[in-house]
Amino acid sequence: MSTIASQQHAAVRRDRRVTTIGALMVFLGALMAVVFGLIVPSGAHSQLTFTPLNTAVHAPWHLGALTLDTRWSDTVLGLMAIGLGVDVIVRQPRRALSRFGLTSVLFLLALLLWTSRTGGPAQTNFVNVTTVLIGSSSLVMVLIYGSLSGVMCERAGVVNIAIEGQFIAGAFLGSMIESTTNSFWLATLAGALAGALLGWVLAFLALRYMSDQIIVGVVIVTLLSALSSYLNLQILTPYPQFNLGNPAPNVAIPFLYKIPVLGPVLFNQTGFFYLAVALIALISFGLFRTRWGLRVRAVGEHPKAAESVGINVVATRYRNVILGGAIAGIGGVAFMATQGPFQPGYTSGLGYIALAALIFGRWTPSGAVVASVLFGILDYLSYNLQNYSFPLSTEILGMFPYLITIAVVAGLIGRVRPPAADGIPYQRS
Amino acid sequence: MSTDVTSPVSTRPSWWRRLYSQSPTLLAGLAIALGFVVGAIVIIVTSPPVLRSWRHIFSSGGAIFSALKITADTVGAAYRAMFTGSVINPSLLWHSLSTGHGWSATLTPLSETLTYATPLLIASIGVGIAFQTGIFNIGANGQAIMGGIGGAAVGSMIHVPMIFHLPLTLIAGILGGVIVGLVPGLLKAYTGAHEVIVTLMFNYVVAAFLIFAVLSTPLQQPGQSNDISRTIDGSAQLPPLFGVSSGLRVSYGIFVAVAVVVFAWWFLERSSLGFEFRVTGQNPQAARASGINAKFVIIAVFCVSGGLAGLAGTVQMQSTTHMVDGGFLIGNAGIGFTAITVALLGRNKPVGIMWGALLFAALGVGGRAMQAATGIPLDLATIIQSFVVLLVATPVMITEIFRLRNVETQRVQLATQGWGS
Repeated sequence: MSTIASQQHAAVRRDRRVTTIGALMVFLGALMAVVFGLIVPSGAHSQLTFTPLNTAVHAPWHLGALTLDTRWSDTVLGLMAIGLGVDVIVRQPRRALSRFGLTSVLFLLALLLWTSRTGGPAQTNFVNVTTVLIGSSSLVMVLIYGSLSGVMCERAGVVNIAIEGQFIAGAFLGSMIESTTNSFWLATLAGALAGALLGWVLAFLALRYMSDQIIVGVVIVTLLSALSSYLNLQILTPYPQFNLGNPAPNVAIPFLYKIPVLGPVLFNQTGFFYLAVALIALISFGLFRTRWGLRVRAVGEHPKAAESVGINVVATRYRNVILGGAIAGIGGVAFMATQGPFQPGYTSGLGYIALAALIFGRWTPSGAVVASVLFGILDYLSYNLQNYSFPLSTEILGMFPYLITIAVVAGLIGRVRPPAADGIPYQRS
Repeated sequence: MSTDVTSPVSTRPSWWRRLYSQSPTLLAGLAIALGFVVGAIVIIVTSPPVLRSWRHIFSSGGAIFSALKITADTVGAAYRAMFTGSVINPSLLWHSLSTGHGWSATLTPLSETLTYATPLLIASIGVGIAFQTGIFNIGANGQAIMGGIGGAAVGSMIHVPMIFHLPLTLIAGILGGVIVGLVPGLLKAYTGAHEVIVTLMFNYVVAAFLIFAVLSTPLQQPGQSNDISRTIDGSAQLPPLFGVSSGLRVSYGIFVAVAVVVFAWWFLERSSLGFEFRVTGQNPQAARASGINAKFVIIAVFCVSGGLAGLAGTVQMQSTTHMVDGGFLIGNAGIGFTAITVALLGRNKPVGIMWGALLFAALGVGGRAMQAATGIPLDLATIIQSFVVLLVATPVMITEIFRLRNVETQRVQLATQGWGS
């Protein structure tokens, strides 16, 4: 029945879901243009500043502020969003979800301009764009590690819901090792090993004993949050020298880091950030351009067929889940290296946002990165918006990554399809 | 599946072989025992005095015995504190029996365990019913939080006599859970969205909503700027079973829990809707073929499961805290997550879940007593629980470890089949 329906859709080449996305974008655009734009009294100004706060580390030179007329700039932003939405409705592009992501970013920008206008609710009448982006970038980076870990596991057909647990393990061990050896290399290695070990546990129980992968994942997260809290009280609290939480040093890339705004955000980062970028490229290329990737995807989509052409399904899954665990473990170290000493519960559900980013990104590395950027900025803003006396409560804003993911999974906006064999135990018959 | 074919009555194995076979109770018991062994190992490798004693075992002849003794004492003291803090302290019991006084102190551990077990049991039954229908309700915690919010709103904002107020508050809690449970149910029934993703995400949505709700004017405690709600009226509270003067916190909520167990047993074993639930869980194709309305069953099971989780939340609020704050059921206190593990341990059967809830409640309460007495962090209880559940979820592993005989191959019924596309 559903195949017939989809064939009919193909015949008229219109997808109701894509149209819904477009309509939503038009709605957001109209909201921006009217509520943040036209209603605002004329003469209100917002300032965008670009010089990072920490000029010693981040800024090669000072940048002037950009003073904008709030009314007209928000109206223009709204019109841009409406244009994108109409484009989606009319042309029905395949990558409608990423355009939705772009619209969301425009929406956030319009909101920031609106709150920081003169006579607006905020204490400060400027938004420091570079600081917002630098602040978000560390969360984005951790989300990228988490969602790439998910890509590795789920493309091979194993649901890794334990990303949060691997983050915790990586952050805990990373902090201990870095504090004792003073080396981020060793800390990264330890975090990767811890994550890989948890990945192995998940793979072992899921592949050898056919346990429910979701239950095992949930229990691993519970276990790790309890274990880390236990060890924190037993080891880190009495010996604080094991939990210094030194920030990783920034490594500026010559010349590139001097580019205004983009330079400090992209090219004056910790090594973890560059490693994440390298992993994105590596996994995208590996998954879609190499024989290894073809095999992994075959195992995730149709393990029986893969087995019949001589691919070792179980070994492929083991390898990918362990590698994925290692990536998430490094993500935990990266979190520690940017957020400070380990405390119980300080990853605060970031692993689940990474899972959401993976789903929003349609189980592809590039999609996961786009989703991570969007969710990372949202998460950062939801923690830091008190400074702007935001009209929307920070809690409501914090719900958005989850609500967007629910809408996407339900097919209310867009459509995602997991790998066909994702989470289903494989039994060689 | 084909046990009745392969084990005819004539070749009924001896009692020893039956005892030493893969019965669900034995599997659960062995999992619990292994969980405690792992807990002991965790204590040993993180306890400085124990490690110090083992470092010197080669220095003198008797050192190894003293090291063994220190190890046994440390582990023993921890588990003893856990037991006396959650069940009964024999010396206090003897004191009460011989003098007739001090019953309050003697019964406090048991009362605390029952207090903690009450909402846990209710939520676990909800999760178990969903499991039996083939639905993994990982969002019980969010539903319970919403139940607490609903109960707190009705309990603090309307003022009527107890005979109306108490049931109204309980119903508000149930409704709160139903509302949060209904969304994933509707989405799964009509769009096919996988319930694990949706309920998982909803936990965070509701946790954020909780903060929002207790910071907004109607619910926030007047004159407070903290994330704390109004205190509910006395007429909406579940009063202590033995009166306030007894000092025992165990409340009339345990009757709610017992009623839920009886209801769940009746519902699953005797009612026609419960039968449809179980058939759907065991064989969705057969259910569809026999005319069971799959969409209706999915929505109904989420209402039942969410409603029970909501009831758990409001019972927790009405019997202990009498208000909700920003940390209500968050983190370590998240009974909705423990409920998943309890349901698995109890094999989704009401009576099994009851024992599981009592055990895990005792572990949680005992863990706190252990931390107070020995300084070993109470997270040990959660570590033991996690291991028990990992083992219960992989019965084959226990069978292999203990070389159990494969007489009864019934396994814990697991719900999920991938993300479902």
